[in-house]
Amino acid sequence: MILEDISLKLQAGRAKDVKALVQQAIDEGIPAEQILDEGLVAGMNVIGEKFKNNEVFVPEVLVAARAMNMGAQILKPLLVAEGVKASGKVCIGTVQGDLHDIGKNLVKMMMEGKGLEVIDLGTDVSPDTFVETAKNEGCQIIACSALLTTTMGVMADVVKAAEAAGIRDKVKIMIGGAPVTDEYCQKIGADAYTPDAASAADKALEFCKAMGA
Amino acid sequence: MAELTILRGGERFVHPFNPPRPLSDVLAESGFAIPRPCGGRGRCGKCAVLLEGAVSPPTPAEEKAGRRLACQAALLGDASVVLPEARAMEQIEIAGAGEVRPVRPMPGAFGAAVDIGTTTVALKLYDMKSGACLSEAGMLNPQTAVAADVMGRIGAALEGGLGRMQAEITGAIESLLKDACGGAGLDPARVESLVVTGNTTMLYLLTGRNPEALSHAPFEADCLFDETVPLLGRAAYLPRCMHAFVGADITCAALAAGQCERDEVSLLCDVGTNGEIALWKDGLLRVSSTAAGPAFEGAGISCGCGSVRGAIDRAWAEDGKIGAHTIGDAPAVGVCGSGLIDAVAAALKLGLVDETGAMDEDELPLSGGVSLLPRDIRAVQLAKAAIAAGIETLLEEAGVGEEDVSTLYIAGGFGSHLDVNSAAAIGLFPEALASRVKVLGNAALAGAAQLLLDTEKQENTRAIASLARHVNLGGNKKFNEHYMDQMFFPEE
Repeated sequence: MILEDISLKLQAGRAKDVKALVQQAIDEGIPAEQILDEGLVAGMNVIGEKFKNNEVFVPEVLVAARAMNMGAQILKPLLVAEGVKASGKVCIGTVQGDLHDIGKNLVKMMMEGKGLEVIDLGTDVSPDTFVETAKNEGCQIIACSALLTTTMGVMADVVKAAEAAGIRDKVKIMIGGAPVTDEYCQKIGADAYTPDAASAADKALEFCKAMGA
Repeated sequence: MAELTILRGGERFVHPFNPPRPLSDVLAESGFAIPRPCGGRGRCGKCAVLLEGAVSPPTPAEEKAGRRLACQAALLGDASVVLPEARAMEQIEIAGAGEVRPVRPMPGAFGAAVDIGTTTVALKLYDMKSGACLSEAGMLNPQTAVAADVMGRIGAALEGGLGRMQAEITGAIESLLKDACGGAGLDPARVESLVVTGNTTMLYLLTGRNPEALSHAPFEADCLFDETVPLLGRAAYLPRCMHAFVGADITCAALAAGQCERDEVSLLCDVGTNGEIALWKDGLLRVSSTAAGPAFEGAGISCGCGSVRGAIDRAWAEDGKIGAHTIGDAPAVGVCGSGLIDAVAAALKLGLVDETGAMDEDELPLSGGVSLLPRDIRAVQLAKAAIAAGIETLLEEAGVGEEDVSTLYIAGGFGSHLDVNSAAAIGLFPEALASRVKVLGNAALAGAAQLLLDTEKQENTRAIASLARHVNLGGNKKFNEHYMDQMFFPEE
């Protein structure tokens, strides 16, 4: 079954094979949404679960996520044409003063793997940029990454900026990164800390569903 | 008052304290500070100890690690703790400084060149008249107890630890001077001049300069040194740094390699917790730094260790299995950086690990009870991908291919123990360069010695720094692409 093949190749990180199989599935007349759900997302879910259980590690996730992305790119125009809607909208970035983006990219790819629309603000992102984007784009979630003890303080500023802009009750603020803890999340009044990319994607989807996106 | 009994390597110490107190505090107070690579968050497992007596119940982090961690456990009353044996210091890389003729030496009859590494400090003592190296000494950087990496130390400095770390490193240099002078039968008072090199952060901490500018983007150092300062009652020259994360050690290494004197394309790599890479082409030195993580120093590897007795330092494929050699031919206690790279290369050759890094078995036995786990292979993939992607990105920026590179200089302690073919086999650097590798040893120290014995070379280091262009890899799209590609191992 071709969709299962897509899932397996994706889990192995075989981006080229995934691309070819996705194209083949389209040519066979399988709807894009079904290829996405039963091929790409199914494969990414397996990787996400294994990642949470420490059965696979960051390299596998990175290469699998890249394979997912390459497959999804082919599907994108078809999904739009089929009128498939994203299950929620997230803006994500690494906070001001911090240039680390591997972890942030991982979370972004995992979230996309859950069918969420993700706006990537890149690195060194100011609190205002997070808040403005969430406001203008109607995001349900602001996701902040920080890898330095010296920059994680900016996350508290993002929470404050969201309050000042009057959108605090409309967005959930998620935080993560090596120095971040659940304790810190509660201290600054953010909505969720997740320790890994797969849990972050699960949590984001949960928030979006609860918010009726 | 309660007592903590500390057992280490057959020795026993008793330290009184007022409970309750964190175990790490009491250990530090008793002079047995344990390095905390993860900054005491209970994540790296490197401070695992055996603990008994009136102690706190295991924290979630300890339950996850399955061991008691010095950074997590608290002492509630009398207790005893068994510490791992001290990391032996015999393998700190000091070699590398070739003979230098004194031309216009710094003042005094004797002088010393010092390299402050993030992990180790090395010193060489020189006769300024003959240029002869009289003796040498090395030790762990005492600041490793504060944090293993540069960012951790910058964070600690901003939280009020600057004075303490400055005193620690000054004290370390003083004791190395004493050691080296003792070895040469010389009164330390006769050593008048010093050249002290190191990465930018190390020089900030040495001079007690606030490293705030190094703590956040755009990471622009507000001081690049190239100055003579008083240190321990002597004149100390601190060579020019090139960037916040490409320090005087790399300037000195480039000087020692003579990299910018030749009309050829060459690469210089210092592989450590931070990998620094310099690419020389057409009168421009493109420099960058990339966070490889501590895997190559044995940290974050389940059975990782430093270059101690019993560490597996060499491994190879033999009769369908992995053969291994340990330092001192002692029973295997763990695997150090060079052994780790060999072991992964051998596993790839034997097909025990495929090019995606997947392995069929749950573990890869090396020797005795020492095995590599799947997550160790993954840690190697992350570390090597950072270095290899850094090289690839710099080559691309300069518009040259790997075939255009005439020489690959490998600097630093880890690099000189590395098997070049194994490193190429795991894809740490392009295979094509394996035959063009020149191993320099501690090139930073060699460069510092040149500056000690010929003050005019200061001009050369200024020239090198003026030709340097920093290439930022953080947030660099090309680098991220390469980083993912390099996550795979090369296919046979």
